[in-house]
This record gives sequence, structure tokens and C-alpha cells, in this order.
Amino acid sequence: MPPRINGSARGSISRALQRTTNSQRPAAILLQSLRAASRHYASASASPLSLGGLKLPDNYVPPTQPPSARRPEERKTQLLRSYTALLRSTPLILFFQHSNLTAVEWAAIRRELRLALDNVPAPVVSPADSNGVPLNIASSIELQVLRTRIFNVAFKIVEFFDPGEQASKSNAYLHDLSSTAYETIRKVEAAADPNSRYAQVAPLLVGPVAAVTFPDVSPAHLAAVLSVLSPSPPTFPPPSRKKNPGYYDAVAQNGLQKLLLVGGRIEDRVFDLEGVKWVGGIEGGLDTLRAQLISMLQSAGLGLTTALEGHSKGLWLALESRRTQLEEEANGGAKKEEAKKEKTSA
Amino acid sequence: MITRFITEVNTKFNPFSIRSRATRLFLSALPPNARQNGMQINTTLLPRTSTQPATLQVKFKDGKEMTLDGEQLGIKGIVEEVDRHSRALQKQADLTDG
Repeated sequence: MPPRINGSARGSISRALQRTTNSQRPAAILLQSLRAASRHYASASASPLSLGGLKLPDNYVPPTQPPSARRPEERKTQLLRSYTALLRSTPLILFFQHSNLTAVEWAAIRRELRLALDNVPAPVVSPADSNGVPLNIASSIELQVLRTRIFNVAFKIVEFFDPGEQASKSNAYLHDLSSTAYETIRKVEAAADPNSRYAQVAPLLVGPVAAVTFPDVSPAHLAAVLSVLSPSPPTFPPPSRKKNPGYYDAVAQNGLQKLLLVGGRIEDRVFDLEGVKWVGGIEGGLDTLRAQLISMLQSAGLGLTTALEGHSKGLWLALESRRTQLEEEANGGAKKEEAKKEKTSA
Repeated sequence: MITRFITEVNTKFNPFSIRSRATRLFLSALPPNARQNGMQINTTLLPRTSTQPATLQVKFKDGKEMTLDGEQLGIKGIVEEVDRHSRALQKQADLTDG
């Protein structure tokens, strides 16, 4: 393995240039003014070598920033970025405490979760992509173990750092890994509002934490997840032994005993166990709730019109009944006399 | 932490309270095969609005019961208290076995 940190800047640049000249690309494209290069290479332009008219190759590695030895997907920067993206795009997250689960137990739990999610019937109106093709969110619901500290930082960045507010700083980077973001969350951390969403969730992120992430708020899928991971018989019964024998496997059961649902974040609101169960218990999902709201509003409108109509109707009825009464009185005398005449004649 | 001599662990905590931290960490310090080796672990989650303190009750093989206050002791204090008794039991077990 070649050494990660090169000996000197000059040496590495000359080596890089050698690589450039050895490569088969046309030199005219590669050899451009070094001064035009971005500020990452400021140290290179200070080099005493006369490098005018040369450009560093694309695979040039600055000596002050050697490549990381970690795989890209394991790097903390990458993890932070993936967590901020997760937090921004995920409306429903459930947090679990996992106490020393083994790898086979995780595998068994993920298998059971997948099985339960695949059995969830698709909702009547499912979320669709830009082309209008309905999506099945079941495949995107995942159980993952969080790196708590980095998740904590990512949460702070998502909650407190708004790149739009930093527009006045003309020459500052505004991405999630930037020093601007770091400064912002460090300032906020000192005087964090106890009612902020971050402050509400932060106590949950203690010790080993795993998360189930949903790309969409779907109570049906939430109920399926709850019935597998934290079953509570009346509303969220565990899968039956006949249908799903794998769930009663010793490995899966041991794993499930060590998982503990501590809370959840649903659409920017924080819920405890009961709250999560309440959301999971919404039958038929959001569409049913919308239908209920519409019917409620419609019936309210109907009630209002009848209430407003009621007085005039009552008045009309009263007058009408009075009129008929008067008419009957006017006619009544004649009728009674006729009746008497008939009686006497009979 | 010596967990060989623990037979039962009863915990009750509110996960939304920062003070229940030590109790939660104690649960995660128990070994993965604790339940198979005969340890009873019961956990009750308090609702979010609850202000009850987190409780941790540990029972040992010799019948001793410990009620530990995680808010005061912290995880290090809990481990120290549990180990103090476990070491005595360990010593006895070593003497009888060997």
C-alpha cells in the first residue's frame, strides 16, 4: 500500500504532473493556467516550481488533505449528510432502544418486518411519483441502527441551520458540512429552546438507538410495523403463529424482547408510545380522515341552513295554521248547523 | 459489569426525561443472552407527561434486592453498586466451587 501522506508538496505535485504527462489525454486540455484553479489548490500555486500553463489532473490529491482510509459509506461526513437528508425527507420516524441485539437477531427482525410490510394492502389513494405511477412505500420502510451522536448533530443542523438566512455572508459555504452550519448550531446549542423539536427528541437519543423510517405517513404501514416490533394485543396483535411461524422463532423473539419503542417523530411533532399507537390506529389512513372532515363540514353547512331557515319556516307555519284555523271557524258554524239539521231530520 | 448473579431486573422510566438516561444505559449494559440465562427483565415505559422518577430494581441469586436511583447515581454509580454485591457473590461461588 502506498503511503497515505506524501512527503512534500513539491514532490507530490511533480509526481502528479508525471502522471499527467504519462496519461493518454491530449496535453492541450490539461495544460491550462494553474492560477485559474480554485482555492483548494492555493498551496500548489505558491510552489516555487514554474508551473504556469499547467493544470493539475482530476485525480490530484492535495498533500494537506490525504484521502480517507475509510470506505465512503462509512465516513462520518457521508453519514452526517445522509442523516440530514433522512431527517428532511422523512415525515415519520420511530425510535427504538436496542439492547445488545446480535446480528442474527437483527436479520430475523428485518425479515419479519419485511414480511409484515409486504402483506399490508395498498391504500386506495397511494402516493404517486411525478409520472403519476402509484408508489408502494413498503419497500422503502427501513429499520436502521443510528449513530446517535452524529444523528444528534444532524438533527441540530436540520432544525436550526437555515442556509437562506445566511445569504448576507457572500463568501461562505452553506452546505450541511460547512463551518457556517457548525457555527450556527454551536451558538444555538447554548440557548436551546426547551420546546423546540430538537429539545423534545434529544432525550430519546441516548444509548443505543435504532430507527424505523417511513417515506410517507401511512397508518396502515405504521400499524404493521407496530404489530411486529412492539405488539400490544387488542389493537396491534402480533402475527399469528399459523400464518407466520418465523415470528415465533427463538432468535426473532429474543431479538424482539430487546427492542423497546421509546418514541417517534410524526410530521414534526413528537409522540410517545401512546401517541404513536394512536396514529397507527387511524383506520384507513389520511384519506379516511379527510373524508370524515368533509362530511363533518358538509353536515355543519346543512345544519346552518336549516337553522337559519327554521325561523321563517316556523313563522310561515304559524301563520298558515292560523289561517286554516280562521277558515275553519268561518266555515265551522255553517257545518255545525248543517249537522244539527241532519240530526233533527233523522 | 458482573451480571451472572442477577436474576431479575425491573425498570420503569420515561424516555422523554433526560434523567432516565442512566436507567436506559443499564438496560443496554446487560449481555445479549441475559434472558436465555434465566434473567427476568421487565420494562415499563411511562407516558411522556409523567413526572415520576425512573426506578431500577435489581434482584440477586442470594435473594438480595436493590433499588437504585439512577438519577442520583448515574450509570457508573449503578454499575458500582451492582458490582459491589456481585463480587461478594463471586467470591463465595469461587470458594464453594474450587
